[in-house]
Amino acid sequence: MTYHYNEAFENPDYRYSETLEIDRSRERNSSFLQNHHDSSLDDDSLYDSYEGGRGQRNQDYPMASMQPGFRYSHSASRPNTNPYGNPHTNPSFEYEPEFAYTSPSTFHAGDGPYVRRASDMSDGGSFSQSYNRRQADLVYRMPSSLLRLDSNAETYDKDKYKHEEKLIKNLASISSKERVKAIQKTPKTMKEKRDIRNKVLMEKTKKSVSSSTQINCCTQCLYKTALSYQRFKNGMSEYLHLLQLWQKTLKVIGGKFGTSVLSYFVFLKWLLTFNIFSFLVNFSFITIPQLIASGPNNLSFNGLELLTGAGYFKKTVLYYGFYTNSTITKTENNSSYDMQLAYIFTIGIYFIICFFSLVYSMAKSFRKNFINPQTYSGSAAKLLCIWDFNITNEKAVKLKQSNLSTQIKESLSEVTLEVLNLSPKQRIARIAVHLLVWMASLGIAAACCAGVYFFSRNNLQLLEGNKSELENEAATLVLPIVVSLLNLLIPFCFALFGLIEKFQYPRHQLYATVIRNVFLKIAIIGILCYYWLNDVATSEKECWESLVGQDIYRLIVIDFIFCLLASFFGEFVRRIIGTKCCKKLGVPEFDIARNVLDLIYTQTLAWIGIFFAPLMPAMQIISFFIIFYVKKVSLMRNCQPPRKVWRASQMTTLFIFLLFFPSFTGVLSVMAVIIWRRTPSKQCGPFQGLTSIIDAVSGWMHILDSYSSSKWVVWIYYNLIGSVHFFFILTVIVLIITYLYWQIIEGRRIMVRLLHEQIINEGKDKMFLLNKLRALQTSKLDPPKEQQERSSSSYQPYRRAALQMTASIERPFGRNGRDFYVEPSSARIPEKTSLPPADTEGCQPGISETLALALRARQQAEWEMEDNDDEDFRP
Amino acid sequence: CKLGQSVFLCCLYTFPSLSRLFYRYRDLAPQLVPLSYIDKPDVKLPYELIGSMAELKDNPFRQRIAEVFSEDGEGNMTLDDFLDMFSVLSEMAPRDLKAYYAFKIYDFNNDDYICKSDLEKTVNKLTRNELTLEEVCLVCDKVIDEADQDNDGRLSVEDFQHMIARAPDFLSTFHIRI
Repeated sequence: MTYHYNEAFENPDYRYSETLEIDRSRERNSSFLQNHHDSSLDDDSLYDSYEGGRGQRNQDYPMASMQPGFRYSHSASRPNTNPYGNPHTNPSFEYEPEFAYTSPSTFHAGDGPYVRRASDMSDGGSFSQSYNRRQADLVYRMPSSLLRLDSNAETYDKDKYKHEEKLIKNLASISSKERVKAIQKTPKTMKEKRDIRNKVLMEKTKKSVSSSTQINCCTQCLYKTALSYQRFKNGMSEYLHLLQLWQKTLKVIGGKFGTSVLSYFVFLKWLLTFNIFSFLVNFSFITIPQLIASGPNNLSFNGLELLTGAGYFKKTVLYYGFYTNSTITKTENNSSYDMQLAYIFTIGIYFIICFFSLVYSMAKSFRKNFINPQTYSGSAAKLLCIWDFNITNEKAVKLKQSNLSTQIKESLSEVTLEVLNLSPKQRIARIAVHLLVWMASLGIAAACCAGVYFFSRNNLQLLEGNKSELENEAATLVLPIVVSLLNLLIPFCFALFGLIEKFQYPRHQLYATVIRNVFLKIAIIGILCYYWLNDVATSEKECWESLVGQDIYRLIVIDFIFCLLASFFGEFVRRIIGTKCCKKLGVPEFDIARNVLDLIYTQTLAWIGIFFAPLMPAMQIISFFIIFYVKKVSLMRNCQPPRKVWRASQMTTLFIFLLFFPSFTGVLSVMAVIIWRRTPSKQCGPFQGLTSIIDAVSGWMHILDSYSSSKWVVWIYYNLIGSVHFFFILTVIVLIITYLYWQIIEGRRIMVRLLHEQIINEGKDKMFLLNKLRALQTSKLDPPKEQQERSSSSYQPYRRAALQMTASIERPFGRNGRDFYVEPSSARIPEKTSLPPADTEGCQPGISETLALALRARQQAEWEMEDNDDEDFRP
Repeated sequence: CKLGQSVFLCCLYTFPSLSRLFYRYRDLAPQLVPLSYIDKPDVKLPYELIGSMAELKDNPFRQRIAEVFSEDGEGNMTLDDFLDMFSVLSEMAPRDLKAYYAFKIYDFNNDDYICKSDLEKTVNKLTRNELTLEEVCLVCDKVIDEADQDNDGRLSVEDFQHMIARAPDFLSTFHIRI
């Protein structure tokens, strides 16, 4: 029984299975029964057909504890009905002949990727060999091969069995995590996977048993804690799952509108998690200590503050100005909290985390979605990948189907039209229109910027004039309203340009509008930043950071209100017009690009605002929550699924990139200017009295310098963070790595092209050979009796040789040329082995002739290939 | 644990989604499926029940999906099959696995190749028979012409996987939220 304990402990996967306890108790109870089984089954002649498995068998039986006993007896009681004859190794295989075993060609294909990965992890050489061998076996049963192999079924089984052993051994030799992944990736039914896993476990325990048969109580104890931890984790994840927001809503949206619209909501949710994280960080490290130290607030509160963010809020934790520059000490025993450092480090670390998570998600999304974007243009992929399995709504399904049929019709008409052949004049006219529109849109953006800048300067002066409080507060609202109006109206203007411009692909139009809108929004934010840093920061106001914070607060609030209004007018009223008054317009579609860009815009504002108002993420969270529900309701009530194909995944990547590149990097540079170049205000905020904010950190470094124990921090600060050389070297290294990867990608691209050509050549080769073989077979079949006589004795080797021949020919297609390096050598071996009998005996001229023909054709193809290669390498 | 042996690491799901899936399975036929799977009851739900799930009910490929993932090939599913199906259709499944099963789904006659008749069936299912015969033929020819790498007039798994590798949207669309 220690055996089982060992197994369970040795293998972490086993721990992961939730039913471990049950398994174990079952094992304990049933092991006696198993032994009984073992002996009773040993008599069965069925199992004696296995020579290779003898050593393995005893090891295999404990595994059977995973299967109920009756199944065993069931498989044993069956006579040799199983065509593959190894119920002993896989008691469950007989139940699903459909999947893996009648279709070995697909079986190995699906197997491939993980096998390769596994071999990468361990010793690659031996494994790839076994892989090749297996492929050769599998081709025996490829439906395409002309000669069906019936008599070789036995050897096939044996080979297959051996191969499986090898696979299991290899699986056993790699790390457990990798193995779990590998097993999960096999395209087999669960029973088969379970079976493989059990065998792998056996293999492992066999090894470990030989090394250490005794298990001390320490490991047992460890195992128990691991088990309880696992249980705890499961319990926790069940509750965490409840926290997974909007699971159901997302499903409904996906079911009704498809993946494209869904991507907007997923993006919104993703941004929301960003903000929740930053809120938690800011609240716990900046706000809570301040709340402990702060005094009461005497300002009165009236409703307008919610809009303007001024008045009462000035003296709350919402803004920068409220935070003290002192160290907070509540308890007597020396533990103090330095607000300055807390402020700068919290925000700094938050931005660093943001940076890395953005880069990570960008890379992930890029890797997932942009595998080979150049080659993505085919009706084949479109047709077979287009069905959105998310859609579950009956209406949506019908709509999608009719959209698809119109799309197909359109694409067919495009085929007949071919590429539009434009005359040079038309082309020039088109380019001129593009240029004109670009100029116009850039001009509009620039004009907006200039307008916003002068308006805001005027506004600043206006505020300095003596007026009543209310008037002042109302005046502050004008700027955000103007900015939001611009943000709302100009995109419509850009959309109108689409009527003039004609693009060859609708995709280009989409990209053009997105780029123009991004340009507009970033330009407006940029000019506002310029205004804040250049005018407000140097204007000798009492507390300019808080003023900026208020500005951003107002911008976000007004933008939020405009967003609600836009979904009301743009979708609700539009639908009423579309359905009641002007039937031609129809029900509006949800504009994904515009909505996502709005989100990016507010997120940029919120990032800038974090420094001036640490609780800005809280507002963002509230507004995103409301936007989510408003958009959802508006979408459900007013909109219809988009008709155009929307490359959801590629667009998501683009949006994450946009969030990173102009937006986040812009915010970082603004932050850098504030921290290094601007003087913080003299009377308020944590940094009052310093000439620049970074002085807080350098002052701290001076203090640390006096302690010998923290010298390393100072060293890191001066030599790494503070030094230009370090960043220079870092940049150079990053550039070098990028260049290297770029080169690798280029090389791979050339490789792929060559391999593609090879595949095409081999395809021709194969077709030729198959035709020849077919012709020969038909001529052979004419004297059928003669052949039957032969096939019993001497014909057999030839037949096999021919089969190997086809096998070697077909192999390259099997992997789409992926195992290019292995292929040539392995392909030649069977040829050589198959040649001698044909030469020496020579009594079957037909067959040898075929072989000769085949060889000649192959050689020819190879020469052709070489020629092609030469051409490729010629510049 | 009510699921007993069936909960198993070969599935790509985490525990909570597994239990959710189990309850979805059980809800299809509460009188047939026991709450406890410890003693491994041999329960199979008929295709009519599986096909009536909200997630599959309107899917034009529902019958194929059920057939491909069921052991008997007729759409009758055990719990294992059911879990298998949704783990392949989940977010976590790798591209090759998804592609393999998508291939099976489109391979209507189970001959391990997507030939022209399979494609015709697919197109008809995708468009609710709204295209004329010639149009369907044209589309199928085009697809085969484009995706067939080895010129044998039909698509093998490798052709299909190669094609899938170029279609980035496939991962997000071959996905059923549960």
